[in-house]
Amino acid sequence: MASLSNSLIARGAEAEIYVADFLGIKVVVKKRVSKPYRNPIFNKMFIESRTRTEAKVLSELYLAGLPVPSVILVDEEGGVIVMEYVEGSRLSDILGTLPRETIIDISGSIGKYAALMHNMEIYHGDFTLANILFTRSSSIVIIDFGLAGYSTDIEEYAIDLHLMSRSIEALYPEFSEIFTKNMFEKYKEYSKIGGENVIRKVSEIRARGRYVDREVRKAILRERYIG
Amino acid sequence: MSTKMCFEIPVLVPSTKGSLVVFGVESTSHTFGVGIIEFQNNNVCVLANVSSQYKPERGGIHPSEASQHHVNVSNEVVKRALSEAGISISDIDVVAVAVGPGLGPCLRVGATLARFISAYWGKPLVPVNHAVAHIEIGKLVGNMRDPLIVYVSGGNTLIAVQKDKRYRVLGETLDIPLGNLLDTFTREIGIAPPYIVGGKHAIDICAEWSSEFTPLPYTVKGSDLSFSGLLTAALRIAREAGGDKTKLGRVCNSLRETAFNMLIEVVERSLMLTGKREILLVGGVASNTVLREKFETIARFYGVRYYGTPPEIAGDNGLMIAYTGLLQYLYGRIVKPEELVVKQRLRLDEEVYPWLL
Repeated sequence: MASLSNSLIARGAEAEIYVADFLGIKVVVKKRVSKPYRNPIFNKMFIESRTRTEAKVLSELYLAGLPVPSVILVDEEGGVIVMEYVEGSRLSDILGTLPRETIIDISGSIGKYAALMHNMEIYHGDFTLANILFTRSSSIVIIDFGLAGYSTDIEEYAIDLHLMSRSIEALYPEFSEIFTKNMFEKYKEYSKIGGENVIRKVSEIRARGRYVDREVRKAILRERYIG
Repeated sequence: MSTKMCFEIPVLVPSTKGSLVVFGVESTSHTFGVGIIEFQNNNVCVLANVSSQYKPERGGIHPSEASQHHVNVSNEVVKRALSEAGISISDIDVVAVAVGPGLGPCLRVGATLARFISAYWGKPLVPVNHAVAHIEIGKLVGNMRDPLIVYVSGGNTLIAVQKDKRYRVLGETLDIPLGNLLDTFTREIGIAPPYIVGGKHAIDICAEWSSEFTPLPYTVKGSDLSFSGLLTAALRIAREAGGDKTKLGRVCNSLRETAFNMLIEVVERSLMLTGKREILLVGGVASNTVLREKFETIARFYGVRYYGTPPEIAGDNGLMIAYTGLLQYLYGRIVKPEELVVKQRLRLDEEVYPWLL
């Protein structure tokens, strides 16, 4: 691990990402770091409990066959997770360069995997284009489970979908409509926990934002309570 | 004003010959303000920025009391602004007014005044989105073109960027805004109003009573925030403090730290998502020195440029309305007095603005 400092490949919002060699395999080392502007209590919370949850969630999803990096080693107190290296680009960087059909395929896969993940009562917590890698073999891999957790509350699932649809809106507004529509369709198809309800909840969450037009908000609530 | 402050416009506007004087009216919430600017050769000079704030004696903002205040001070504020600028009403070329989001009775005071000036003196009238104005003035004074925007006030807590000529909201509060959290908490524990004393918020004064920290609910959902659980928990602990100043100080300190850390976390996430190299902090809570220090530190940490609007323009003011009105006017977005309507609910991301990237 001594050569780690030379192989820093990314600095995320709460962790540093290194590439290293482990038993001849290329691995990613995610090290959560203390931040000078953060209260020491938050530093500890961010480092220990988020490392523990991330490692647990990653292992479960990997074993269930979802496209996530597999975990190799975990050091909770040190805030370190060593996982499989995945070659690919963040969708937030490259989505606009892909052909339209590929973008539609991707939106479907995202919807499908979100449903499979939620079926296991796991939510991602920061489900945005920046956390989906697009690999050379044109498949997707979901990364960064730093805000993930377990819940049976469909609110958490709906937030994942809400975050994804808002991130596409902010980064690639020209594709946002088709992307979101297709993602929702596949989500419903693969969901075993009432995908319809989760998607209804997404518009409800959106309506909670500040200064949403009163009529729009009323219509959404009417749909929820009156049907 | 001793020296005239001038700024180069950081956004693209159609080239225009001659000069323009824009008169802007702000009355969306607690502040009635008038700003006057002069535009020439892609530069904007501030001629006047005068405001008067409604300060409730107890409780929060009472909309009809606030609008009463605005009506009472409007004549005086307009007169002072004109005399500072050294002009008369007939010298104005454009009238701009904030039409929302805000409190209905308050919005109507500004709208009525602006309609009247426009109709009586035959001046073009421009409606302005108050939230957009907060951001545009920050970009102007901070000379920023494409920042990650953090807008924190009593009515808003959001993170936005510009894309395809619109502001796009990346994250926002799902319940109460940050300013509202701080105001409500200090009011409920009996140390406010006044909310601001000597430039310091009541929460900062109270937080100085202790340096200890108690964990409180921390709710970040991706890039969204939720402060209502934090408020409820802090109030419950504050009640248990039974008037003990040190214990109360600990709650204030913990509440502020938790809320600010939540905001910082979503800012970091948005910075990663968008790769922006500039951070712009705007809105009333941008005046908070503790928050500003935290932003200065993250900016240094990530090697990005940071600008926080100074208190004179961070809070609500007429200057930002005049400047945003100018941008609208240059792109021909004027309305007839009878067409001007106020909108209490008006989102930042609702409309296309031609000067955006």
